[in-house]
Amino acid sequence: MANTLEIKHLVKSFGDLEVIKDVSLTANQGDVICIIGSSGSGKSTLLRCINLLETPNSGEVWVNGELIKMGQDKKGQPCPTDHQQVDRIRTKLAMVFQSFNLWSHMTVLQNVIEAPVHVQKINKIEATKLGLELLTKVGITEKADQYPSNLSGGQQQRVAIARALAVKPDILLFDEPTSSLDPELVGEVLKVMKSLAEEGRTMIVVTHEMGFAKEVASKVIFLHQGRIEEQGSPSEIFNSPKSERLKQFLASNLEG
Amino acid sequence: MDFLSFLAFDDTGWGDEMLAGMFITLLVSVSAMAIGLVFSVFGTMAKLSHSVIIRSFGNTYTTVIRGIPELLVIYLFFFGFNNALMAAAKSLFDYHEYFEFPVFLTAAIAVGLVSGAYSTEVIRGSFLAVPKGQVEAAKSVGMSKFQIFHRVLIPQVLRYALPGLGNVWQLTLKDTALISVMAIAEIMRTAQIAAGNTKEPFVFYIFAALLYLTLTTVSSKALNSAESWANKGVRRA
Repeated sequence: MANTLEIKHLVKSFGDLEVIKDVSLTANQGDVICIIGSSGSGKSTLLRCINLLETPNSGEVWVNGELIKMGQDKKGQPCPTDHQQVDRIRTKLAMVFQSFNLWSHMTVLQNVIEAPVHVQKINKIEATKLGLELLTKVGITEKADQYPSNLSGGQQQRVAIARALAVKPDILLFDEPTSSLDPELVGEVLKVMKSLAEEGRTMIVVTHEMGFAKEVASKVIFLHQGRIEEQGSPSEIFNSPKSERLKQFLASNLEG
Repeated sequence: MDFLSFLAFDDTGWGDEMLAGMFITLLVSVSAMAIGLVFSVFGTMAKLSHSVIIRSFGNTYTTVIRGIPELLVIYLFFFGFNNALMAAAKSLFDYHEYFEFPVFLTAAIAVGLVSGAYSTEVIRGSFLAVPKGQVEAAKSVGMSKFQIFHRVLIPQVLRYALPGLGNVWQLTLKDTALISVMAIAEIMRTAQIAAGNTKEPFVFYIFAALLYLTLTTVSSKALNSAESWANKGVRRA
């Protein structure tokens, strides 16, 4: 069977600044890949290139064995050539954002069923049933009819996870999901993410939570200045780091 | 008693004419606002365009129209619009007959052009006020451009735009007083005629003011409820 996600020789620059320099990675069904690195190392950009929120300058992204077709626009800039393909593949790659990005004019339940109803054309009664199940799963059924602004950050992020799950994606992308949360709210979100990992979901997680990476990841990638500096199992990365940069990074990021 | 007899609803008084004027004012205002909103959609698209040339069209529109007095725009339309149309008809369709474009529509377009320039600024600002993450979230679950536009952008743009558009509406409503120079019998023009006939200008201008106030008060009530509808989900600070 084809790999769930494969990235080959991805390059991304903003103007003259090359942010991602030839990164390749593979995720198989059930992998939890944690991408760590200091800020500015390109980890969020790498994640955003996977679902084309950023357009890579070159390289290939394969999802379930299907290559996302890229071409050039009139100005010679790289751009996807088949927008319908992109929209379709994006439902396979749902994303959870650092700042939640729940649609503020919709209730919690409306947020969750929006894509199932309007993108995947599932009938509303079924979608609502699915939505309520997912809200139960993330533990906020009682807030279904509230607007996001009435929820705490941790609750909003759990709703965002439910919204991502609602499109039944093959891969979940997490972009620093706990970085804008108050410390006491981090735990509730990590708990939900951990239970998803235990279900065998494929997840790519950009994170500063070393404890989570250590405990949950099947593979950890350390990104430094747009390159993969080191990768391996959590125990390899955290217990016997090889590169100096990773050692420095871990020294400043691990408590105790 | 004299005072009220001036406003009687029959051939001896001006009450019915004034009410008819109020209706015309409302009709021109609504038409002008609607025409202005159409202008503002194009104006906003132009001003947010990636193309420098298209952007400069948008900027020229809002800069010129907001930069000259409304009365001047109305005069330019009153004296120039019909001739311009006839010239266009001649060169485009080889039509040589004299015709008169309905003066009511000329007025509505003139006021609409002004109203649209202000609406453009309001709507452009509202588009920019929608957080980028709202659109990215929509993209990330596979929504198409059109779906993002009407499911996510429009409801949020409306929320930001309604207070500003309410303001434009009130300005538009009052700007219609200027089309009295085109001899359209709206509130202002009717009041002028009545004042001249009865030699009671104060009575009729006060009455005109009350009619304008009625229109603006009722519409601002309606706008307030529209705003609270559009602001569902927004926590008051």
